[in-house]
Amino acid sequence: MTNPASDVRTRPAAGDVAALTARLRADYGERVVTSHAVREQHGHGEGLADAALPDVVVFPHGNEEVAAVVRLCGATRIPVIAFGVGTSLEGHVAALYGGVCLDLSQMNRVLEVNAEDLDCRVQAGVTREQLNAELKGTGLFFPIDPGANATLGGMASTRASGTNAVRYGTMRENVLGLTVVTADGRIVRTGSRARKSSAGYDLTRLYVGAEGTLGIITEVQLRLYGIPEAISAAVCQFPDLKSAVDTVIVATQLGIPVARVELLDDVQMDACIRYSKLEGFEARPTLFFEFHGTEAGVREQAGTIQSLAADHGGSAFQWATAPEDRSKLWKARHNAYYAVLALAPGRQAFATDACVPISRLTDCVLETQADVATTGLVAPIVGHVGDGNFHLVILFDPGSADERAKAEALARRVSLRAIAMGGTCTGEHGIGVHKLDALVAEHGDAVALMQAIKRALDPHDIMNPGKTVPMPGRG
Amino acid sequence: MAEAALAELQERVRAAAAARRPLRIRGGGTKDFYGRALAGDVLDTRALAGIVAYEPTELVVTARAGTPLAEIEDALAARGQMLAFEPPHHGIGTTLGGVVAAGFSGPRRASAGAARDFVLGVRIVDGSGEALAFGGRVIKNVAGFDVSRLMCGALGTLGVLTEVSLKCVPRPKVETTRVVECDAGEAIRRVNEWGAKPLPISATCHHAGRLWLRLSGAAAAVQSAAGTIGGSEVDGSAQWDGLRDQAHDFFAAACEGRATLWRLSVSSTAPWSDFGGDMLVEWGGALRWLVPRAPVDAEALRAWAQRHGGHATLFRGPDKSAGAFQPLSPAVLGLHQRLKAVFDPQGVLNRGRLYAEF
Repeated sequence: MTNPASDVRTRPAAGDVAALTARLRADYGERVVTSHAVREQHGHGEGLADAALPDVVVFPHGNEEVAAVVRLCGATRIPVIAFGVGTSLEGHVAALYGGVCLDLSQMNRVLEVNAEDLDCRVQAGVTREQLNAELKGTGLFFPIDPGANATLGGMASTRASGTNAVRYGTMRENVLGLTVVTADGRIVRTGSRARKSSAGYDLTRLYVGAEGTLGIITEVQLRLYGIPEAISAAVCQFPDLKSAVDTVIVATQLGIPVARVELLDDVQMDACIRYSKLEGFEARPTLFFEFHGTEAGVREQAGTIQSLAADHGGSAFQWATAPEDRSKLWKARHNAYYAVLALAPGRQAFATDACVPISRLTDCVLETQADVATTGLVAPIVGHVGDGNFHLVILFDPGSADERAKAEALARRVSLRAIAMGGTCTGEHGIGVHKLDALVAEHGDAVALMQAIKRALDPHDIMNPGKTVPMPGRG
Repeated sequence: MAEAALAELQERVRAAAAARRPLRIRGGGTKDFYGRALAGDVLDTRALAGIVAYEPTELVVTARAGTPLAEIEDALAARGQMLAFEPPHHGIGTTLGGVVAAGFSGPRRASAGAARDFVLGVRIVDGSGEALAFGGRVIKNVAGFDVSRLMCGALGTLGVLTEVSLKCVPRPKVETTRVVECDAGEAIRRVNEWGAKPLPISATCHHAGRLWLRLSGAAAAVQSAAGTIGGSEVDGSAQWDGLRDQAHDFFAAACEGRATLWRLSVSSTAPWSDFGGDMLVEWGGALRWLVPRAPVDAEALRAWAQRHGGHATLFRGPDKSAGAFQPLSPAVLGLHQRLKAVFDPQGVLNRGRLYAEF
C-alpha cells in the first residue's frame, strides 16, 4: 500500500484558513463563527476533556450547503468535522488538525413521518427527544436511547445503541437509509424506504458508525415502532454478580423479549442510591428491568423473569408501573455517571466500553473488579447485560498525571481483556481518537483494509481526520 | 483440513489475481440463476465446511462458508434455536456463504430482520488472496468500519466469504397459520394495519385471493392475535417452506425456465398495481413477486418501484438483457467502483455478476 508523503496530515496553512473563512462569511454571513468560546464548545464531546479547537464553526441549513462547504474545504484540503450536540465520548469531534466544524444542529426538521410504513426521515440535527416529541399523537416512537439527548445524525455516525438494544437493536438495524455528503462534495442517497437492502452494496451500513470519516450524514431514514400497550419496570437485587448475570443468560435463552435489562454493581448501586435518593435498596449487584408489550404479554414476561431471579437468589421485584415512577428509576440509571462523579467531588471520570460474549461476562466483570482493586482507583460498573456490554466508570484526579496514567492503563487492560475473551473494545461508544490502538489490537491485518477504504472514499483525508482508523503517516 | 482448504483457496485467488483471470465463486450452486451472467473459473467453497463454534447460551453460531445451510439449521434445531431471517434453500446443498453473499432472507424477514441484521462477523479472502477477519461474535461492536455487513448482498464481488458468525434466536413456543379470503388490495391494507399493532405476525403471503398469516410467539399472544385476525386456521408449514425456497407453485414456471420472475422491493404501503400476470405479495406488502404474462417494460417497472421507495430485480429469467439489478446513480456507482478496487484491485471475484461495470 502506498503512503506518499503528501498524506502526512498537519494543520492547514493559516492563509488557506483565512481565505476559506472569508469565502464562508460571504456565503453564510453570521452562520460562520470564529469566536474562541464557540470554537472551544465545538472542540470536544463528553468524554475526557481533551479539546482540540476547529478554526471556524459553520451552521449549515441544508444538504446543498453542507456539500458546498465540503467542496470548498476539499479544494485546499482543510479538515471538515460534523458536530451534532457534542455528546460523543471518545473525542470524535475534537478538531485534531483544526479546520471547519459543521454544526448541524440547525438542520433540525423532521422531514416526513410515514405512520403507516412505520418510518420517518429526519435531518441530521434532530435530537432523539425532539423526534419522540414530534411523534406524539401518532402512536409511534423511536426506541434507541443512549442516555444523552444526542442528534440522530450523530447517533447514526457512531452506530449508537443504549439500554434497549436487546429488543429493538442498535442504529445499525434501525437506519433504513441516509443522505450523505461525500468527501468530494456530492450528495448521495443510500438505502430506501423499502425494508429490503437496497440495490448494490449496503453503503448505508458502511456510513453508519464511520464517525464522519467517510462522509457527512445529513439526513436519516429511521424505522419507528408502535408504542407498547403496556410498559412496566422492576428492580431486583442479587447476593452476587454471577447470580444477576446468570438470570439474564437464562432469560435470553428462553427468548423472553425484555426491553431493557441493566446491571449495576454494588459500588455503582451505592452511588445511585445516594445521588438519586432511591429508597428501599441496598448496595448490592442489581438488575433494572423494563418490559414492553401487551398487558398479558408483560405480565407473562415479568412473571417468568421473577421466578428465574428467585431461582438465582434474587430479591422480590420492586415494581414501577406508573410513568413517573418508571422515569424516576430510569433517570437514576441514566444519571449513574453523575452519581459516580458525586462520590468524589473534583475528580473527573471516563467510561470503558467492553463487550464480550455473554457467557464470559461474569468472568470479565469479576476479573475487571479485581483489577480495579489493585489500582486503588474508584471505578464502578454499569452494564447492558443482555448484550454483554459493560462500562467501568473510572474516577481520577485531573491534577495528577500519575493517577490519570493509571486510569488510562486500567481502561486499556479492560479493552484487551475483552478482546482476549472474544469480544470487542467498544460495544457502543466507538473508536474516536482514544481507541485507535485498541482497534489495531482487535482487528490486526484487517485495519489495513479499513485504511484502504478510508483512502478510497476520502483520498485527501479531509473528513474528520485522525479518528476511527489509524492512518500511517499522519503527523 | 480446513486450514489446508483455506490455504488452497488463497493460492487460487492469488494466482487468478496475478493472471487477472476471473473466478466464479460457487458453493452449492443453487443460485447460479441469480444476478448477471456467470463468468470465470469455478472456485468451489465446499471444502471450507463445518461448524466452528456453536454455544447455545450465547445464541451465536460460527461456521465455515461452505457448510450446508441444512447442517447449521439442524444443529440449531437440536437446541431449540433457529436462524431468525429464515434463509431460503433454492435447491439442495445451499451453503451458508451463498445465503450471506446473496443477502437472502425468507418469509420471517418483515418481522425479524434481514440476513445482514444477524451477521456479527465474517472472515473473507479478498481479491489479493489475503485472509481477513471483520466484526466478531458479540451482538454490539462499533470498532471500525462495518465491513461484515458490506459483504451481505455483495454477491462475492468484494471477497470470498470463508467463515460467518450469526446471531440465532430461540424457536417460538407456538406457531399457527391462518387464512383470510380477500383480494390483494385488501390484503395489503390489512397487513399494514395489523403491522402497526403489537401482534406476533411472523409472515404474510397473499396469492390468488387468499391471505396467509403466520403467528409465532407465546401461547397467549398467538391466541389473542388469532381472534383479532379472524379467518380460519390451517396447517401452514408446507406453504411457508415452499414460499421460502420458491418451491411453491407460483414459482414453478420461472424455476423451470419457462417464465420470468421479477422481485419488487417497495414500501409496504405501496398501492396494489396489476402488471398483467400472476403476483404474490409477501413481507407485509413490502415484497411483490411478478410472473408477467407478456414481456414487461423493465424501465417502467423499475420506475414504479423507485417511485414507491424501492427497486426491481429481474430475479429469474432466460433473458436478462434488461440487467438483473436496478441501475445505480452515477455517484453511487462511483462509490461501488472505488470499494471494488479496494477489495479486489484486479477485478477477479465474480466480475460483472452484480453490475456490468465492475
